[in-house]
Order: sequence, then C-alpha cells, then structure tokens
Amino acid sequence: MKLLIENNKKINILLFITLMIVFIFLPFFLSGYWIRVFTTIFMYAVIAQGMNIMYGYMGYLPFGNVMFFGIGAYIAAIGMNRGLPFLAVLPLAALTAIFLSILFGIPVLKIRGHYFAIATIGINGAIMGVVQNTTEITGGAMGTTLPIIDKPPAVTYGYFYFAMLALMIIATLLLYLVINSKLGYGIRSIKANEEAANSMGINTIYHKVTAWAISALFVSIAGALYAYWMSFIGPTEVFSTVVAVKVIVIMLIGGAGTILGPIIGSFIVSMLSEVVWSSFLEYHLGVLGIAMIAILFFAPKGIVGTMDDFIKNRGLRLRKKVSV
Amino acid sequence: MGENNIILTIKSLSKYFGALKAVDGVSFEVKKGEILGLIGPNGAGKTTIANLVTGTFSKTSGSVIFEDTDISNLKSYQIARKGLTRTFQIVEPLKGMSVEENVLVGSLYGRDNRNTNMKNSSKRTREIIKLVGLESKKDFLVSDITINDIKKMEFARVIAMDPKILFLDEVMAGLTAKEVEKTSILIKRILKEKDLTIVFIEHIMKAVMGVSDRIIVLHHGKKISEGTPQEVANSSAVIEAYLGKRYAKEVVNNG
Repeated sequence: MKLLIENNKKINILLFITLMIVFIFLPFFLSGYWIRVFTTIFMYAVIAQGMNIMYGYMGYLPFGNVMFFGIGAYIAAIGMNRGLPFLAVLPLAALTAIFLSILFGIPVLKIRGHYFAIATIGINGAIMGVVQNTTEITGGAMGTTLPIIDKPPAVTYGYFYFAMLALMIIATLLLYLVINSKLGYGIRSIKANEEAANSMGINTIYHKVTAWAISALFVSIAGALYAYWMSFIGPTEVFSTVVAVKVIVIMLIGGAGTILGPIIGSFIVSMLSEVVWSSFLEYHLGVLGIAMIAILFFAPKGIVGTMDDFIKNRGLRLRKKVSV
Repeated sequence: MGENNIILTIKSLSKYFGALKAVDGVSFEVKKGEILGLIGPNGAGKTTIANLVTGTFSKTSGSVIFEDTDISNLKSYQIARKGLTRTFQIVEPLKGMSVEENVLVGSLYGRDNRNTNMKNSSKRTREIIKLVGLESKKDFLVSDITINDIKKMEFARVIAMDPKILFLDEVMAGLTAKEVEKTSILIKRILKEKDLTIVFIEHIMKAVMGVSDRIIVLHHGKKISEGTPQEVANSSAVIEAYLGKRYAKEVVNNG
C-alpha cells in the first residue's frame, strides 16, 4: 500500500510536469483569443489554490476571499498610477494583503463554519465600500486605469500568459511544500478535528492565520497581475462574489484538498463554459449549471479526489489478492 | 516522599456550571512515576478534572501547579507543549487522516514541539505504532478501523507527544476482560519505558485496582477518599458511595 501511495504521488508529479511542458509550448500554436482564455484559466487556478489551502486542507470556507484579489488589483493600480514600476507594486500588493489577512484573521478565524464564511463576505463588502468611496485615491465606483505596456498586444498577451503560468506553478509548488511540512500537518489537523488538534499542542489560531496569509499572498498577486493585464479595473468587478462562487465551483470540481485539483478544475470549468458558450448561447448558464451538478453528484470528491480513490482502492484489492 | 517527587499539585480546584458544582474544592497531589487512579460514580467530576487540568475548560477557582508553575490559566495547546496531555473518553481521532498521520501529528507537536522535525518524528511514529501493535493498520484511514483500534491509535498518539504526565480518560471502556488485561500490561510497560506519570480515570474497577499505586475517589465533585487500592476499597465512605460491600469484600479477600 505504501508503495502504491508513492506510485500515486509519482503519477501526480508526472501529470504536473507534463501539463507544465504542454503549457510552456502552447502559446506558439494558439491564437490571441485562446492565449487569453488560458491566462484566465491559470489565474482562476491560482485563486482556487488560495481557496484550497483554506477549505480543502483546513476546512474553513473564506467565501469573501476575493477581497484579496481586489486589494492586489487596487494596490497595483494605485502604486503604478503614482509612478512605481510593476515589480515594486507586486510585493506591496502581497504585503498589504498579508497584513490585512492577519488583521482580520485573528478575530474572524475564531468563528467557525457558515459564520466564518458570512463574516468574510462582510469584510469583502466593507472593503469594496471603502474603495468605492475614496474616489481621490481609487477612482471610486467608476474604476481606474493602469499604464499600458508599450508593445503590440500579441507580445503583452504573451507576457501575461507566462507570468500567470509562472504564478500558478509557484503557488502550486509552495502549497505542496506547505502541506507536506509540519505546518501542513497542523493545518490539516484543524480540518480533521480542531479540539483534538488543540489538545495535541497545535496553536490553532496561529495555524489558521498563517494559512489565510498564504492564501492572501496567492490571490493578491493574481489580482495585481490581472489589473496590469486588463489595464482597467472597477470595484464591482474585482470584489465580485460571482468570482468567489466560480472559484469554489472550480475547487470542488477539481477536488478540494488535492494539490492538482484546482488546476484541473479551472481547466474543466473554463473549457466547459467556452464550449457551452459557443454552442448554447441562450442557455449558457443553465447548461453549465447542470454539468456542474452532474459532476458533483457523481464525483463528490472532485475529479482528482475520485481518481486518487480509484487508484488507492485498486491497490487495496490487489493487496487482498496477494494476501489470500 | 520528598517535595521533589511531586509533579502535579491540584489546590482546591472548582468548576461550577451554573448551580451545578461539577468539581467542588478538590485538592490532591500526583507523585512522579506513579499511576494514580481517579474513580467515582457517574457525574462525580472525573472527566471535568481532566478537562480543567488540560485546559479544555476554564476553572471557576483554585489552581493547578505543574512543576512549580501555575498552568490553570494557560490554553490547552500550551499545556500540551509543557508535557501534560490526555486521551478522550469519547474518541477524538483526526478524521480523514491515516493512523500513521494521526500519530505523526502527535509526534510533531506535543512536548518541546520546536525541536521536532519531519524526519525524526516519522521515525518515532513508526516505533510507537509498532509498540501498540497497529503496524498492519498504519495506512488505514481512522474511519476504516474499529473503535478499539482507534483507542489504541489515540494511546499511540499521546505517547508520541512524549508527555511527562498523562491523563487516561476511560481507555478501558468498551473493552472485553481479556483486552483490559492486555491494555493494563501495555500501560505498565510504557510507563517503565517512557518515564511517565499516569492519572488513570476509570470505571472498570478491576482495571483500576490492578494497575494503580494510589487511588482517589470522587463523589458529587468532592474528594471522599484517598489511599492504596486496599485502603480505598475498605473505606466506609467509598463503599457507601460507590463500590458496594460485596465487591469491597472480594478485593480484600483476594488481596
């Protein structure tokens, strides 16, 4: 069994490397439209990884996690409009998001379950309200523009494709390292049984806040990249709860609590919506909804989770045969 | 017995739930290296004492002194890190994790958790799983093993935490007579190997009498007797409150 689990790990690593090689060479064969689609897929995968560490591994659903996306986007916009280069606003965006995740996390992560989810929606709404009303700094409800890269669109789209791809790879590797470390065992213990975790010497509030800070880091950098990519952002767009819902669906379909789930989920949901969009224009949302219900009904652990189970069960069956 | 021998002192500890005095001014001491039995009928306050000492509940009044420091205001994870840990009456496994991972978490955190790393902890985990006899089940999820195996796993997990003092809350409940005997032997062996002190909260009289060096009897949140198993069994207060004359006689006659 040990061997089979390790095999499973090998399969995961192999799958990850293959995917990455495909993604690196893909832009040379694709049109501008598809490059944009893939950049969006990578972006959603990163946001979904931020959701994954919180919900998939720790059992806390930060419904308003999109707040860090908005913060990242707005810090990038404000900084760049003051003349800072993009590489300087990127760490600024990340640090602001991490600071806020700690500030809000210490009180809010003491609440559990649905109450925590609702509290994060409240914080997201509050931050959006602040952004909408500080017009001199943020541009208010009208949104704000960012400097445009002085290159042909095909080249800039290539930049953002590779930047998002790199971000997705780094976020996924970082998550993998965290989950397999001591910190990761502490985080997973909180989902498994928070009381027991406490009595076993795990400082649960420290672990919860750290996990949220990691989540904020991923999501805020995605937000900053998005703002620079779009060169225009508005508050209702980057603090949108629709994004939150989409990210949760991506995580669940791919497999919450699996390393590759969010990437595969993002790919499937976006592809599905492309196909449905082009063939059922009028029933787009309905067909998409039914497809998602079907996947969640038949594979509640998500695609990666179900695949893992299948491999594990096959391992058990083989082992039983050997022992008989 | 010198002063240095005492590892844990409980001083007039009380816990009230509204009008209910679950624990009412209980004082006792635990000596280093002993097995202390904590017994009493249902609702006597045994588990409440474990909850108070390990920080699961906050006290109403009194103090708990562990190695010269008052720990009664610390959080449960801080108490666990000092080396004072417990098992639960109702099992509390880490659901969705394997037996090995459950024990590994105990080994990673627990006492002196700053000094532990993955490599050493994994090694320790394997040794302890072997010690309690769960080797063949180490890769199973806790949801796929029997309640007795979960209890063994929880025992392995607290041993992995490398405690100085361990509260065992009804580890024998639900076991057959033979299993009780086996578990008693296991506890005695581990006590010797790991240089532990154990407070043994129990319902099964036979197990307590056979294993404990000293016994404290609680009734309605108050301590009513303290002494060796024989002394306690012969105490009229205890016989009245709990044991019944017939059982007490048996114990005395059989030594």
